[in-house]
Amino acid sequence: MHPNSDFMHRCELVDLTRVAQGCFRLKLYAPALTGAEPGQFVHLRAGSSTDPLLRRPFSIHYVDQKAGEIWLLIRVVGPATSALSRLRPGAELDLLGPLGNTFPAREEAAAAMLVAGGIGLAPLYFLARRRLEAGLAFDLLLGGAEGSSLPGDAFFDCAGLKPMLATEDGSRGFKGTVVDLLKQRLESGEKPSRIHACGPVPMLARVVDLGKIYAVPVHISLESLMACAVGACLGCVFPFKINGMLEYRRVCRDGPVFNGEEAHFNFV
Amino acid sequence: MSDSCLSATIAGITMANPLVAASGCYGYGFDYRHCIDPACWGAIVVKGTTLHPRLGNPPPRLVETPSGLLNAIGLQNPGIAYFLKYIRVRLPELGCPVLVNIAGETLDEYRRLAALLNGVDEVAGLEVNISCPNVKKGGISFGCDPALVYELVCRVREAYRGPLIVKLSLEAGNIVSVAEAATRAGADALSLINTIKGMVIDVQKRRPVLGNSTGGLSGPALRPLAVRAVWEVSQAVSVPVIGMGGIMQAEDALQFILAGSAAVAIGTANFVNPAVPKEICDGLKRYLADNGFTHYRELIGLARPGS
Ligand SMILES: Cc1cc2nc3c(=O)[nH]c(=O)nc-3n(C[C@H](O)[C@H](O)[C@H](O)COP(=O)(O)OP(=O)(O)OC[C@H]3O[C@@H](n4cnc5c(N)ncnc54)[C@H](O)[C@@H]3O)c2cc1C
Ligand SMILES: Cc1cc2nc3c(=O)[nH]c(=O)nc-3n(C[C@H](O)[C@H](O)[C@H](O)COP(=O)(O)O)c2cc1C
Ligand code: FES
Repeated sequence: MHPNSDFMHRCELVDLTRVAQGCFRLKLYAPALTGAEPGQFVHLRAGSSTDPLLRRPFSIHYVDQKAGEIWLLIRVVGPATSALSRLRPGAELDLLGPLGNTFPAREEAAAAMLVAGGIGLAPLYFLARRRLEAGLAFDLLLGGAEGSSLPGDAFFDCAGLKPMLATEDGSRGFKGTVVDLLKQRLESGEKPSRIHACGPVPMLARVVDLGKIYAVPVHISLESLMACAVGACLGCVFPFKINGMLEYRRVCRDGPVFNGEEAHFNFV
Repeated sequence: MSDSCLSATIAGITMANPLVAASGCYGYGFDYRHCIDPACWGAIVVKGTTLHPRLGNPPPRLVETPSGLLNAIGLQNPGIAYFLKYIRVRLPELGCPVLVNIAGETLDEYRRLAALLNGVDEVAGLEVNISCPNVKKGGISFGCDPALVYELVCRVREAYRGPLIVKLSLEAGNIVSVAEAATRAGADALSLINTIKGMVIDVQKRRPVLGNSTGGLSGPALRPLAVRAVWEVSQAVSVPVIGMGGIMQAEDALQFILAGSAAVAIGTANFVNPAVPKEICDGLKRYLADNGFTHYRELIGLARPGS
């Protein structure tokens, strides 16, 4: 009759910093969660009232094993994310996790390309730092509508990361979308061992198309509205085409990381 | 108070407590094991199961509403043959009675499902879903007509000898007549209510949010309607009622019990707080102790006039 504390946690918020317009980094003291791997997420409750009712899923943005912390990167889009952005250090958060699968961690000679659209940076930052620590080559491509929606240079510098930026207004880095930037790199003859992508669904669809054209395997991390986040309600499914057959898979339990080639984007 | 103050027998099924995991919200009972021991439930009802595998509805399948949730899963499930072959054998691991929620597109499908489950030891009973709002054929279209419900429950009753529960919708408008028809046809208990059909429109896209356009409303927004339904039905029939709809905490469960529920089912609250069955059991025991009752049974229907 005892809740298993390995998955249900109450964690203290130790730091909350605004890192870009409408975008906040939260550091939580959560030693029990520091075994999490890039791609996994937590399901957290913003407040204790019935409105908003459901928990909300957020990728694990980084694990600081020494400090016993997990980090989240949150973009404010509605009531739950806005409530989270107003928390003060010392606040206690109720979360489930770590949940979901991870980016495949294979050691390859050729560099991997990490392609992030907007808040899709959250899990790819974690993957990038893990690869850096392991001495594995990679490039991090990050896109946003405008420069101010992306974290500043210091955010990346102190982690030793050098992302290639793409902004649609051209205010920082390449002028265009992150998919345009990826396309340019592939056209110029670069041949990454694989692509890991996270961002809005239309962006992921275009990245998977490019992967097919240039014969590079693509792993995508999908987002979906979730209720249970443990595989019980079948509410978070995304369509896939497996051996020519339509199949709905649970983003929370079968993902959130999937083989991009199998995702059935035309269906949505 | 000792645990025995919550012991329950519903439709002949012995349960450690009157809390039931609601169909569709708890998978086959295994998904929450990392959070909480499934044996803490009085019983678990598995996802709606159909004769043939069902793909379910296109996404998005969920949207949150004020203090509620609209879902349009569309009974995605691997079908009864898969259930019997692969899932059935694992059910004893859960450590509590397990009921199967069945849904058909025709009367004959309900009868065949019941026949296939008859005598299956790992299954403690059936919950006949005549109230799913998310499928085009069957489901709720059966649940609104008392004559059809009588016919359907008679056929299932003939095919299935174990405990038989019929799950009702409030959509019918005449839930009491439907409840009476189900009881006359041989239902051992009734569960109510299933979700109620609703819609949310995305004003930017100028389209309904859900892939299926409509979905079933669950959660606290549903609670007062469900308490009222339990109040009416439990006074009209002599079989036990399993009440559900937006139960989040012990106080909510108490409302249902005082209205006339012999047991309560919990769905949406698990999504918010996986420890909810344990917390509600503790809360019920505290209420009994604080108010001088020795068993929760004494509370059933106590809010009715003349009680
Ligand atoms: C596995 C996973 C990981 C995620 N990781 C992060 C993360 O690291 N950082 C982050 O900021 N967000 C992340 N999200 C998205 C995050 O869960 C939503 O932004 C959040 O639930 C919004 O809650 P809200 O109450 O603020 O807004 P809501 O009122 O719930 O939503 C506001 C608007 O955003 C849309 N929306 C809500 N949820 C999603 C979603 N999951 N995907 C796309 N659109 C959505 C709604 O349709 C609505 O238009 C993740 C989602 C998933 C499934
Ligand atoms: C995601 C979801 C799936 C459901 N699936 C089923 C189902 O397959 N069969 C069924 O009889 N009821 C189903 N229900 C209804 C619940 O069992 C319950 O009647 C309803 O949600 C009200 O209770 P709640 O407010 O505690 O969730 C489902 C509910 C939800 C939220
Ligand atoms: S959110 Fe319930 S199955 Fe994924």
